[in-house]
Amino acid sequence: MKIKVLAYSICIFVITLLQSTIIDYIKIMNVKPNLLLAFIVVVAILRGNVEGTVIGFICGLCHDVISGKMIGVFALLGLYIGLLIGSVNKRLYRENVLIAVFFTFVSTFVYEYVFYFFNLFLRGKGDLIFPLKNVILPEAVYNSVLSILIFIIMIKLHYTFEEASRTSRKY
Amino acid sequence: MLRLFRNKFFLLALLTILLLVLIGVSSRADSPVNTVGNSLSIPWAPFQKVASFLEDKIGGIFVYFEDMKELKRENDELRAKLDEMEKETRDLNRLREENRILRETLNLKDQFSDYISIGGNIIAKDVGNWFNIFTIDAGTKDGVAIDSPVITNKGLVGSIYQTGPLSSKVISIIDVDSAVSALVNNYIVIVRGDINLKDQGLLRMDRIPVELDLKVGDTVETSGVGGIFPKGILIGKVIEIREGDTDLNRYAVVEPAVDFQRLREVFVLVDKTKNTETGNGEK
Repeated sequence: MKIKVLAYSICIFVITLLQSTIIDYIKIMNVKPNLLLAFIVVVAILRGNVEGTVIGFICGLCHDVISGKMIGVFALLGLYIGLLIGSVNKRLYRENVLIAVFFTFVSTFVYEYVFYFFNLFLRGKGDLIFPLKNVILPEAVYNSVLSILIFIIMIKLHYTFEEASRTSRKY
Repeated sequence: MLRLFRNKFFLLALLTILLLVLIGVSSRADSPVNTVGNSLSIPWAPFQKVASFLEDKIGGIFVYFEDMKELKRENDELRAKLDEMEKETRDLNRLREENRILRETLNLKDQFSDYISIGGNIIAKDVGNWFNIFTIDAGTKDGVAIDSPVITNKGLVGSIYQTGPLSSKVISIIDVDSAVSALVNNYIVIVRGDINLKDQGLLRMDRIPVELDLKVGDTVETSGVGGIFPKGILIGKVIEIREGDTDLNRYAVVEPAVDFQRLREVFVLVDKTKNTETGNGEK
């Protein structure tokens, strides 16, 4: 349990750090990927809904603290994305990387569009189609590609956690 | 009661309501919740400083090689320009001296004499794709206050949006929530960020008076109306005028003088008269 908390903390810390600094330099078509979101999705798929929800909440909160204009928006979105994706994972073959790619694609759409709708569209700062084509679609593709990388790292951690829980169960 | 807290649905509902309240409370930029939130980002700050320093160095190498071809052409251009400039400098020096003498006689106060400038390095950019907010390594400890204008030697960058003890968030003028009162040819207009233009780093100029004869290349500066920005800071120049179907929805595209992609260091202007209680006012 302690190892798990430590491993997750280090992952979240490093990803948040990368997201707020280096990511700005690897923009494609002026769009940044969102590593935190890809991380939430991968954790929720591999580890189920409880860990998905907790990690989603913490990652969202880090996102809110490190940037943005108000606190709580991404924490709320991350919490529900972790919960929903974590809840469907029992019915799928979770150790397939394509599942992670697909869910990252879908959840980027949901995450960014909900945020755009409530924060910008309702305040009359833009129309509905423009961001879809210029920001959300490229970002969803970018996130999906990066989720493969995160999946490869996380599946190793996943096996370590499984191994740890199996050995601790013996005693 | 304890059993209630073990119920997952109850916990979820409670957390959701708490978060909704938090969003509501923190949506005002100057609420204390944001100061607490910004304080939570302190553990990242030293690492962000190192990361942005490394980025600067590594990015600089690539830029160096990229620019090699450009340099020769640019060198020739600049030489020609330099000759021109030397002539202008002589004229300017004469005018500056004249201006100083005239100002002294009129007893005009220097517009920036009420401000002290605090240097800050950009340590983090915004995480998402919607806003243009960045974090600098100067906070309330250094005397930075909410709404202080942020500039570089080229022109206006934005203003302080939220403050923390060691860092503060700057909202740049190309952000969708930013609106600056500006002056073009002695007419007051509004320059604001636009969601469709911000990716190209451009601004949108609204409320152009019908009688204003706007031309491409006109310079735009702050007007001093609104109380946040002092008068006369360069914002940029007009690069395109887009006519609507009536005169009322005519708008112009403004290119900022500051290159937001390559921004590294900024200066925060702190009003001495407003900021006496922090003890930094005397500096």
